[in-house]
Amino acid sequence: MTASRFTNFQDYGVGIGLRIPHYQHILEKKPVVDWFEIISENYMGEAGRPLAVLDQILEQYRVVQHGVSMYFGNTARPNRDHLKKLKALTKRTKTPWVSDHLCWGSVDGRFTHDLLPMPYTWEAVKTTARNVREVQDFLELPVAVENVSSYAEFHLSEMTEWEFLNEVVEAADCGILLDVNNIYVSSRNHGFDPRDYVNAVPPGRVAQTHLAGHTEFKKYILDTHDHPVIDPVWALYELAMQRCGRVATLLEWDDKIPSFEEVHTEALKANRFLPASAAAA
Amino acid sequence: MDMSTLARFQAALAGAIMRPLGPGETMRREGHAVAAEFVKPNARLAAKDRLQIYNQQYWWRLLGSFGDDFGGLAAVLGERRFERLAIAYLDACGSASWNLRDLGQGLSAFIVAHPELLGSHGPLARDMAALEWARVIAFDAAEWPRIDPVEFASRRPSRMKLGLQPYLTLLELQYPVDRLLQKLKQSENAAASNARSSGAGSRKLRLHAKPAASPVHLAIHRSELVVYYKRLQPAAYHLLSALRAGETLENACGMAFGDEAVAADQIAAKVQQWFSAWTAFGWLCEKPAIMTKKPAPLACPLC
Repeated sequence: MTASRFTNFQDYGVGIGLRIPHYQHILEKKPVVDWFEIISENYMGEAGRPLAVLDQILEQYRVVQHGVSMYFGNTARPNRDHLKKLKALTKRTKTPWVSDHLCWGSVDGRFTHDLLPMPYTWEAVKTTARNVREVQDFLELPVAVENVSSYAEFHLSEMTEWEFLNEVVEAADCGILLDVNNIYVSSRNHGFDPRDYVNAVPPGRVAQTHLAGHTEFKKYILDTHDHPVIDPVWALYELAMQRCGRVATLLEWDDKIPSFEEVHTEALKANRFLPASAAAA
Repeated sequence: MDMSTLARFQAALAGAIMRPLGPGETMRREGHAVAAEFVKPNARLAAKDRLQIYNQQYWWRLLGSFGDDFGGLAAVLGERRFERLAIAYLDACGSASWNLRDLGQGLSAFIVAHPELLGSHGPLARDMAALEWARVIAFDAAEWPRIDPVEFASRRPSRMKLGLQPYLTLLELQYPVDRLLQKLKQSENAAASNARSSGAGSRKLRLHAKPAASPVHLAIHRSELVVYYKRLQPAAYHLLSALRAGETLENACGMAFGDEAVAADQIAAKVQQWFSAWTAFGWLCEKPAIMTKKPAPLACPLC
């Protein structure tokens, strides 16, 4: 549900990811958009064009920060320099919450720049929750963790992915960024019913949702964010909204990016799937 | 202390994922044992095939990002040699930063240590790599408060120390790679525009003729959010380099003009002209405490 402690009691509607090909359109036409999600790392340089554009966007729009490199599941603790830069950016954007992924991605200071899936073990629950708590405490903002798409399952796992997610968010006392496309992709790659996943998530902790397109290959599906959202993913989104109520919703489109209007129109389809009372709100 | 199970898992998988791809862009045999130990197969994919997806994504992502940052170097070396260099560099140094922007931070040092990877294009390739890394810095590095010209004029040169903006890089090069890169980008833009009209074409930069050696001194900087290359007279380059090294203005001038038989009044006029331009560009700044630290070496922090 929206406007909870996991969203800093802020109520957000349907937004889209802020991407470079749309900068000019947004700054010149100033379209009505409820909010933009930014990839934090793209604005964590110290100066230059990215921050100059962001400042112009912030004059007109609400922005929420989404990260891709905190790697909550790393065995190493979060990097302090990274956290300081991230916190400085949160002061600039006044983001009501910060999200990043339930994954790992670097070892001994060497980065994969990928969102690698966790083995669903109790040790991993403890390590990940410790890191999420540390980030949350440092940033002094609610943190939402996002479920990732995955292409591999591990012998070490002791529980399902949704059980792992629930254990982590309970132990860390944090929110969830529920990516329904990622659930769909993983369900197809691993052969589980995606509705089981959505039905298992604690609705009160869902701060935000993600929607996106993906690419089907012969033997697996890849989370590519380069297509419109397909109907089965919209159906999962509808189920999630029925359970969680009106939740801040964000469409991601990161490759083969079409016009701003096309992306925004695709995002606004989400309104069709909101519960009647929520859609009218 | 023994590694935890999670640490052992992450070290093993990261090793397999970051190992260069084998023939046909498939995972090398060394990764198969890691896959068998940790990854479950399913009805459609063997364990090694599932791990291979991550192995491929890693290399395609990093090579793509590296190619975006060093398109000029790729044009100088040619596609195949550039790919060999990129794989060797990324295999040896990897990415030591959460930010992909930093991927090329150790490249200049790496190619000095591995001239065999550059073939007959060594000096030109080294110059191009240095220029393209300077572009990355100029794009988004910090800008400190500019020096106040009135304050500046009132100080004694014998005691005055100045800082240079972090986004500014000074390069002494054997080849005019600034012009070369501009030409390459122009032909890329033309090709892209033709490709749009024809619906096909490559965006890769292509070098048609190796330029003649001709030493240049460059300042790569940012103005109004745009990256520029400014050519400098050798003495101006040496003066700025000496200031960056922490010399007083008086010493820096001495070092810049040390061997030249130029009259003192001419030197004064030149220096005045240069400083007028440099203050207008905003290159000069107070040297904050953080900048008095010895700069980090331009080398891969991992190797």
